[in-house]
Amino acid sequence: MNLGELRPVLLQLEREPGSLRAQVESALLRHGQPLRWAITDVDLSAEGRSFLQIEAVVIGSIDPKCSEA
Amino acid sequence: MPTLLVIPTGIGCVVGGFAGDALPAARLLAAASGCLITHPNVMNGAALYWSDPRIHYVEGWSLDRFAAGELLLQPVRQQRVGLLLDAGIEPELRQRHLQVADGCRATLGLNIGPVVTTDVPLEVSLSLGASGVSWGQLRRPDVLLRAGEQLKAAGATAIAVVARFPDDPESEALAAYRQGSGVDALAGAEAVISHLLSRELGLPCAHAPALSLLPLDPELDPRAAGEELGFTFLPCVLVGLSRAPSLLPATASSAAGASVLEIDAVGAVIAPAAALGGSAVLACAERGIPVIAVDNPCLLNVTAEALGLEVLPAASYSEAAGLVLALREGIAPVALQRPLLPLSALR
Repeated sequence: MNLGELRPVLLQLEREPGSLRAQVESALLRHGQPLRWAITDVDLSAEGRSFLQIEAVVIGSIDPKCSEA
Repeated sequence: MPTLLVIPTGIGCVVGGFAGDALPAARLLAAASGCLITHPNVMNGAALYWSDPRIHYVEGWSLDRFAAGELLLQPVRQQRVGLLLDAGIEPELRQRHLQVADGCRATLGLNIGPVVTTDVPLEVSLSLGASGVSWGQLRRPDVLLRAGEQLKAAGATAIAVVARFPDDPESEALAAYRQGSGVDALAGAEAVISHLLSRELGLPCAHAPALSLLPLDPELDPRAAGEELGFTFLPCVLVGLSRAPSLLPATASSAAGASVLEIDAVGAVIAPAAALGGSAVLACAERGIPVIAVDNPCLLNVTAEALGLEVLPAASYSEAAGLVLALREGIAPVALQRPLLPLSALR
């Protein structure tokens, strides 16, 4: 079986309307196949914006062109 | 009423952050619901375990896929549990694990085998994430999967994997864990190993770490004691997997029997109130399944308020069991609270 490396990923995302799960998985897919993830912190700004911290392990290599927002 | 119980591993939960110390809560919730679906972190007490036909033992990756509607769970009478051993385990420790497997065959009547040893050591490493929760890695996932494929090809219908974990008997983190605080430093790497096998093989999988014996700690917290009763952490894994439900793709729904569990039948999900940001809980919330958020302090603060979720709060797992019973009996939880506000009319 051809399998990439397991890589830790740490992301900061601004929450968008719609499915939270889909937003997180879509962001992780830019780094590899999500194996295990969790939202580990939420920062609420004074303007009402919400920023999520995601910790994850993904399968596959990280594309260096991917920026971590 | 099928009910999900999630207590994430490696986040230092006061209940469920140690050696299967959420098992009493799981037993209570199984009685209240009549059907509890939960994961190894809740059920595994190393040398201690509990088998209940109302409790379905489902590894975390499969639990997430079940909650997302991508997998069905098929209860079975017995799985044939293949044993996957890391080549990094020393001969004497390896023999201890084989004797546990033999003991479970002879004393409990489990169907175990065959045994496969990886070609080379898996090289597990431990780490903590930015939040302080437990994560970890293995350097040779390809070797793990090759051994898993061998077991599946040889007829195993579930896989118990034992990887050699790094010993660190002098570490402050280990001392804190044994005395009832901090996080289980092994948990993150364990989850990665079992998630990977489940994902790639489509079989129920669970992991037990192989470690050297620790010196006696007279101050040992009762919640960690299950891990100090024997030479291995393997018995609970073999017992859990022996009746773990088989995993079916959701496309098998029409061909599946009446006993198959699917997410549409789930009536509640229970999770720590400050750890609601995992895949299974979010998937359930998005489906409109009631979320019971239990006060179970941990390292995180990812609450319903922070995520904008509507939940039923519970001060303890005992209260959560009452809420499950109410939902199961068709009693609106709000009717049990005071004050009971008047109905409001839509304008």
